[in-house]
Amino acid sequence: MNCFVDKILFVDLTSRQILTAPLNQEWIEDYWGCWGLALRYYWDEVSPTVDPLSPENVLVLMTGALSGTLTPLSGRMCLVSKSPQSGTVFQSNVGGGISNELKFAGYDGIVVRGKASSPVYLKIEDDRVSLEDAGDLWGKGIFETDKLLQTAIGSEEAKSLVIGPAGENLVKFSCIGSEAYRQMGRSGGGALFGSKNLKGIVCRGTGGVRVADMGAFLKTIDHYKKTSLLDEENLWAYTDGTPILMEATNEMGIHPTRNFTAGMNDSIQPLATDAIKAAKLGDRACASCILACGKFTDVNGAQMEGPEYETLNMGGSNCEVNDLEQVILFNRLCDDLGMDTISCGNIMAMAMDMTEKGRKDFKLPFGPSAEYLKVVTEIGTLSTERGRDLAQGSRWLAETYDSQDLSTEVKGLELPAYDPRGNYGMGLSYAVSERGACHMRAFTVFSEAPLDLDVQARDVVDAQNLNAVKWSLGFCDVWANISADIMADILSVGLGKTVTAAELLRAGERIWNLGRLFNLRAGITAEDDKLPQKILNQGLKKGANDGRVFSAEDFEYAKQTFYRLRQWDPEGIPAIEKLAELGLDQY
Amino acid sequence: MMKILFVDPAKCTGCNRCTYVCSAVKEDIFAPEQARIRINNFPHQGFSVPSICFQCPNAPCHKACQFDAISRNADDVVVVDADKCTACGDCVEACPYGMIELLNGIATKCDYCDGDPACVKECYTGALVFQGKTPGLLKLKGVQMKQRSADGSPQEKRVRLGKAILTLTRG
Repeated sequence: MNCFVDKILFVDLTSRQILTAPLNQEWIEDYWGCWGLALRYYWDEVSPTVDPLSPENVLVLMTGALSGTLTPLSGRMCLVSKSPQSGTVFQSNVGGGISNELKFAGYDGIVVRGKASSPVYLKIEDDRVSLEDAGDLWGKGIFETDKLLQTAIGSEEAKSLVIGPAGENLVKFSCIGSEAYRQMGRSGGGALFGSKNLKGIVCRGTGGVRVADMGAFLKTIDHYKKTSLLDEENLWAYTDGTPILMEATNEMGIHPTRNFTAGMNDSIQPLATDAIKAAKLGDRACASCILACGKFTDVNGAQMEGPEYETLNMGGSNCEVNDLEQVILFNRLCDDLGMDTISCGNIMAMAMDMTEKGRKDFKLPFGPSAEYLKVVTEIGTLSTERGRDLAQGSRWLAETYDSQDLSTEVKGLELPAYDPRGNYGMGLSYAVSERGACHMRAFTVFSEAPLDLDVQARDVVDAQNLNAVKWSLGFCDVWANISADIMADILSVGLGKTVTAAELLRAGERIWNLGRLFNLRAGITAEDDKLPQKILNQGLKKGANDGRVFSAEDFEYAKQTFYRLRQWDPEGIPAIEKLAELGLDQY
Repeated sequence: MMKILFVDPAKCTGCNRCTYVCSAVKEDIFAPEQARIRINNFPHQGFSVPSICFQCPNAPCHKACQFDAISRNADDVVVVDADKCTACGDCVEACPYGMIELLNGIATKCDYCDGDPACVKECYTGALVFQGKTPGLLKLKGVQMKQRSADGSPQEKRVRLGKAILTLTRG
């Protein structure tokens, strides 16, 4: 089959059985790959009430429909499972080369079931697949593990997905790392691996991916590269990378500062894009990407690919650590221990606030201090009482230490680096996303009417559907102006049969509705589609949105408008007519 | 002036598009393992080094061939005559850079795509250039050509070259 390699790997860790099955043909055109197809497989694998960290939970890893081809920015791989952080279904994805490598090995995806009796890793060398002992790797950081797995498989070009001590320790916001500096960052994928005694997956593939008509495909790719991708709207990724957002969000007044107290950081310069450029050794790209948004930096010998915007903000501005070297060290620690920098930075800022306000003395002040880096290791290794406390996340801290007014999370997932009080679309998007406060579902930051509730509700629905398609074909967020028409054209030429933009967008809608059905059955209701007290009640300080809140009344209006546009009832339940239209009425 | 393929590793982002397009135009499939250009990626150090055929003067692959299957064409490019190749593997062993390999029973290497290399057109950052000699480019090429391996598999030879360039660049 064109574009796909037509095989799914099923790995049962309990019985150590490894099987393959052809890709389910009936699902392809409804879900396409990556997010959509992983979600469809996951739906069949578990009950929505499954305990995320139990052996009964399942992990589905899926490549994008266009992964492995020359299509630019098409190498994302998705993980779909139930999150230990939010108790919802979630999708998290990663770039680098792992998605393409898995396809070259001959698999569109992997379904992982059960729990190994002792630590193992999954080794994939084309059609030779085995579970290997990971006893010696357990306890090691992601950087070292990645190298050791390359040695074990005998190729520097092997790609891996691995966890560090935080994932082994079931830290709720632990992540899965790939090629040292890239992550399936959010929702606790690391703990899911850890709960299964799965240290990692290493893959080397020497096969390939075919398309219907290579000549026509290369021409199509070249056309959209020139007419859409290499446009001013995307080239910031090459010149600056995500750090360009530091000054942009600061000027907009939506730059979380001092635990979401202020919307701008007066001392941002040490963390701004020019500082990253000054520290840059080179540009880094994911497989097949032209834009190379990764900036490899060095400050006084502290080197890494990054930091990205979210980390600069959450570990920097939001903790009032306006020191690039410190933030790089924070980032490296998180990457190596295997923790999401967004949640970790957010939680640390909350702990700083709690310390300052006397709610609980974590001995953790705002600003640079010896404690700032020390506490990161304590969280990942659960080695101190405060480390164990912070590892529980902001919702637990708020409930345990009566600090609801200081936490910023939705469904247990901490807010990322865009304050919703100055951009209501981001607030709505956080509230109604399938996994809690995620900025990757509908990115309304550059909207011209960020406070217009009707415009924002519409924009969130449209962006959610389009992004579900992007993430299913394997595209990266950074190709901002890619349309459903462009995606449909590339996919059609690759497959050798016509797929329309309307069909793709319907698949996007289907993905959102199926995710919603899962969450409803998991016990998540409209009550959970909410925003933190701080966002609703406390005025943002400084900058363009000084004094502004996203009032409970405005938020409720936006949420109900969103439900209506989705044809969901006031309780957020999809109308049966909508489900019938999407072919989901049997569920 | 005769055009030559040059590499500037400092500009390589590790996107690997050159390997994808090479296998696409030569083998009708996206399969970096079948490409005539390879990228040695060192993500931990944020560095990638393309491995190319240097079309060596006194090419070791040419000299090693006992069947007259390897020759130098009018454009000074070292080419393989598939009809004469016996897949003995002597050229593979002889190449100090790991840039000729047996693929489907024939010694396979870069032929500059008849003077219009597909890889260069896909290289957005200019890490790959196809042009006449300049002192700067010749110097880069000279440094790379010094990284010769006497033994090992083609992949091992390429990785050795990559690591040596990484060390020379970053220390």
